Amino acid sequence: MTFKIIVCVKQVPDTADIKWTEHNTINREGLDSIINPYDLGAIKLAQNFKLMLSRRLSNIEIIAVTMGPPQAQDVLKKAISLGCDGAYMLSDKKFACADTLATAYTLSQFVHIKVPDYKLIICGQQAIDGDTAQTPSSMAEKLGIRQITNVIGIKEVNEAYSIWSTDTTDSYQEIKSGYPLLVATKLKDLDLLPNINGYIKAHNTKIEILSAEDLALDSNKIGLKGSPTKVKTAFRPNYQKNTLVIDNQSNADCADFILGEIEKCRINNEQ
Amino acid sequence: MSNKVLVYVEINNNKIEKVSKEIIAKASESFVNSEVNAVLISDENTYEHVYNELCGLNISKLYVIVDKLFDSYNTCLFSDVLSNFLRENTPDIFLIGATTNGRDLAPRTASNLDIGLTADCTDLQIDENGNLLATRPTYGGKLLATIVSRTKPNFATVRSGAFACTDLNSDKEPEIIKINPNVNNIDALFQVISCKPKPQAEDWTCAEIIVSGGLGLNSKDNFDLIYKLSELIGAKPAATRAAVELGWAPESIQVGQTGSSVSPKLYLAFGISGAMQHMVGISNADKIIAINTNTNAPIMSQSDIAIVADAAAVLKDMIEKLSVKSKQAHL
Repeated sequence: MTFKIIVCVKQVPDTADIKWTEHNTINREGLDSIINPYDLGAIKLAQNFKLMLSRRLSNIEIIAVTMGPPQAQDVLKKAISLGCDGAYMLSDKKFACADTLATAYTLSQFVHIKVPDYKLIICGQQAIDGDTAQTPSSMAEKLGIRQITNVIGIKEVNEAYSIWSTDTTDSYQEIKSGYPLLVATKLKDLDLLPNINGYIKAHNTKIEILSAEDLALDSNKIGLKGSPTKVKTAFRPNYQKNTLVIDNQSNADCADFILGEIEKCRINNEQ
Repeated sequence: MSNKVLVYVEINNNKIEKVSKEIIAKASESFVNSEVNAVLISDENTYEHVYNELCGLNISKLYVIVDKLFDSYNTCLFSDVLSNFLRENTPDIFLIGATTNGRDLAPRTASNLDIGLTADCTDLQIDENGNLLATRPTYGGKLLATIVSRTKPNFATVRSGAFACTDLNSDKEPEIIKINPNVNNIDALFQVISCKPKPQAEDWTCAEIIVSGGLGLNSKDNFDLIYKLSELIGAKPAATRAAVELGWAPESIQVGQTGSSVSPKLYLAFGISGAMQHMVGISNADKIIAINTNTNAPIMSQSDIAIVADAAAVLKDMIEKLSVKSKQAHL
């Protein structure tokens, strides 16, 4: 039996390079799309997992999946070029404007229908556009499986269980879990590069495109309709202040001035 | 009609997480017509340890969900128990601190209840109908979005440091409601096999004065002056993401979208350009003084006072002046 690993990937705008329209909305034209950096971490982790388990098992398959508009296929090609064995694209106009709950439902239905015999799901912890870190946990709940978040590495792997290293605000942990399991990683593997064979494989692999109908989805639970949250307003933060600029002063005078401000702050606090 | 607001109280190392208190303070102060209650999942022992602290929280009701299995955090267990509790005691608004565990627990719980969730909010308001307006940074802090949810409870996680650490210190005794849930589905195949606590980082984010350094300091040696000055004036040091990425400072003192939010009385920004993702973390500071040679840096028009000077040189002068002063004081 094949040991199946699912890796969830997302196409995101390069948030380092956002341009604005005159109405302070994001100018999507000419905005570079990239694979979410945390998902590269997830692919890297899947590769490592496969390598470690391949000493014990020969049939291991990494399946990449994404949900998005047709052009998001690019991230699946990338995933295949980086070592994933197959890929599915969930694309349907009805999926548009999904929040994390609707996305988690859609992805979990995909898993139920297309890869029901999976053992492991690996996700990037968050996507750099939304930064919510909700979809992995939400998906694990929908599938009724265990989850480990904040993963930074794999410690031990076999057919029955695996041990993962995590890094949280207050501790480093090693967590052991059986399968099925979902892990979310905070690694960002930006240096992951495909080789020539990877490019050829990506070119030759046919990506199956799945619609809402293919996945027998409840239309009330997907896309805009299935999303309880909505953006009421979005605005560009404006931190402009009426700044007092001090120029052409000696360093010593600047130092005195700041020390004076510190003193003022202290006196105000005491009062 | 009164709005029921429920806050999840997170306990770590026998102490209430700061963000839980920040949320309670914010809700009590600025949500009109609201009753603020709290829920805690804990074992008996931990509960007793924090009992006094819990009693001073300025809340009306405290729901304590107790079992010996709740001695440490476990996602599936906590999420199941919390979801069941919320099904029976549905508040209008439910808020959790966006800590590591909070960000792990909240989405699983929301998914269990099939309700919406807004992550990592930096501002909370209530509209005229009592609905939560939850504002959060997105696109790396470049855009702020105010999000509403059509499901109840309106559910959000809240960023630590987004609201001031007001001293709650209430003498209003909460009504305590203890709940012993049915827990038997403990997963034998899931186990934390080792846990190395990180050194307890001192809570610096509530400091009155924060001295922060960025790329404009040009070297790690110069960055070390940030620590020196902080120590001399009794302030706390902080750093930008760029400085942390260069290894000049640890991640634990990073300020901004991916680090901590702070709201000091005075924020001294040495050699910081003021990228959007940094400014989002200091927008609640009472006064920002920026020291930078680059007059075009964004921070030079986003601070209260912008000093055009070499940040490292000014730091050195300040340290020297303070040292002289303290020597004179000793004579």
